[in-house]
Amino acid sequence: MNRSLLNKLFVFTTVTAAGICCAVLLFMMAVITAKGLRALDFEFLFTASRDFGAAGGIFYQIVGSLLLVVFAALICFPLALGTAIFKSEYLKNGHMQRLCAVLVYGLNGVPSVIFGVFGLIFFVNVLGTRISWFVGSIILAIMILPTVVLAAFHSINSIPQSYRESASALGLGKWQVIVKVLLPQGIAGSITGLFLGLARAVGETAPIMFIATAFSGVGIPGSFFEPVTALPTHILALTHQAINQQALQNAWGASLVLISLVTIFSTLGLWSRMKLKTMSLR
Amino acid sequence: MKNSAALRVVGQDTASEITAAVEINDFHVWFDEAPVLRGISLALQKHRINCIIGPSGSGKSTLIRSLNRMNDDVEGYSFKGSIHFDGEPILRKSVNVATLRTDIGMVFQKPCVFPKSIAENVLFGVQYVKKLSRQERLHLVEANLKAVSLWKEVSHRLHDRAGSLSIGQQQRLCIARTLAVKPKVILLDEPTSSLDPVSTRAIEDLMLELRQEYTIVFVTHNIQQAQRVADQLVFMCNGGVIEQGPKQKLFGNPENEQTRKYLNEEYCDC
Ligand SMILES: Nc1ncnc2c1ncn2[C@@H]1O[C@H](COP(=O)(O)OP(=O)(O)OP(=O)(O)O)[C@@H](O)[C@H]1O
Ligand SMILES: [Mg+2]
Repeated sequence: MNRSLLNKLFVFTTVTAAGICCAVLLFMMAVITAKGLRALDFEFLFTASRDFGAAGGIFYQIVGSLLLVVFAALICFPLALGTAIFKSEYLKNGHMQRLCAVLVYGLNGVPSVIFGVFGLIFFVNVLGTRISWFVGSIILAIMILPTVVLAAFHSINSIPQSYRESASALGLGKWQVIVKVLLPQGIAGSITGLFLGLARAVGETAPIMFIATAFSGVGIPGSFFEPVTALPTHILALTHQAINQQALQNAWGASLVLISLVTIFSTLGLWSRMKLKTMSLR
Repeated sequence: MKNSAALRVVGQDTASEITAAVEINDFHVWFDEAPVLRGISLALQKHRINCIIGPSGSGKSTLIRSLNRMNDDVEGYSFKGSIHFDGEPILRKSVNVATLRTDIGMVFQKPCVFPKSIAENVLFGVQYVKKLSRQERLHLVEANLKAVSLWKEVSHRLHDRAGSLSIGQQQRLCIARTLAVKPKVILLDEPTSSLDPVSTRAIEDLMLELRQEYTIVFVTHNIQQAQRVADQLVFMCNGGVIEQGPKQKLFGNPENEQTRKYLNEEYCDC
């Protein structure tokens, strides 16, 4: 076989592979949008569900999902920054750094249902918290921790040594160097990771279905230790009654809203990364 | 002034008023067990430009980075010997390194401004800056930018990003930032090697002016530059000091053959 033919074959294969990926994604988006739009209107977005979701809207599911991920972000962010700074500034030993990286990657590989079961056993059974959205936030925070830690670590690690030296040569102590030089950059990097993590967290069902959500009958929680309803678990419940046309219609609508939330978080993540790039180029 | 090192350097000069700001005694440095400095004894003089020259790898940077203990953070660094600043030993564990660095400031080879405004860069190292009034801060910014002759060029855009300045201006900003923490000694490690000739001249003029108030320790491997600005000259080679003394003596009548060769830019196998 001659070289140019091989080349063409290679190009053809890669284009086909990329094409299939894009086609699947586009097809899915198109179907969800087409089906979902039929369910979607002002009332659907802003009223509570009735009849186990077969009637009414998804207002409290949206609120519940947002509550879960907003608190997951609040819990995750300082933890991730702290871990990243500890790793880059205090673990000078190469072995320890690698061990830390392995642990973080390991956490990333844990299947999400395991987080759910862990939450059930540790928080609900052992600590006796009962089903609580706050426990759900904690579990989601742990689940997205690796994503955010890695983003923070990369951005802190990419700060040239000369910035640290210049700052400490001015008489800044280690703590001041961390606060004035490393944190600003680390925060910018973590925000990117945080949004990407949230994009993942908002769609997760398994980690929250045992510990944080009820399938129906709850509104806005009055305390930290009450269940909420959330979009992914709501969709799951609706598809269980798939013979009911109205329920199925609502499932499509809720899916579209969920996909939109994921898209918004991802876009914010990419946008913040672009902002960060222009910042480091000055 | 009883210190022998200081007297040896001062020689027949007007000995009574010139004193050493920094005295280095039999100072050795190793990186990962490999010797880098081999028994350096030096007295760096107050209100003078103490210029250290020598070929690449001779240990100039290692030496001046030991004076403000920047090497402490380098892995594999170990030392022996003593360094005194204003009579106080500075290598002891008990010394507060952050305070030491406000007394002995440092300017690096490549200007490294923080991604902040020009004014914020000047104030970056000033402790308790939050307790100062707006007026006091502005005064600090103005005074230190004037000290490096940058005020006229940037006074109308103090809140612009420091990164928007030319490299030469950035280096002067770095010096202003160092002056703002009120050091007594300023260490400059090849501060002009990334600058064009005009900016280089500006920095040289600045050093000549600053020596009225500060003790300057200046590393360069540009021999013409040493001739232009140095008061005292230290010639280093292979981790040791080959010769030290007033500039005129080293250029005019060096004791050591290697010194003469190096300063005449001849081949020098040290
Ligand atoms: N962090 C380090 N780890 C190991 N060796 C080092 C380290 N820093 C410097 N050295 C070694 O110490 C020796 C002296 O280096 P130094 O940077 O002090 O030389 P210099 O005179 O400043 O050279 P130049 O003119 O090129 O800047 C060199 O052989 C260098 O390889
Ligand atoms: Mg050097």
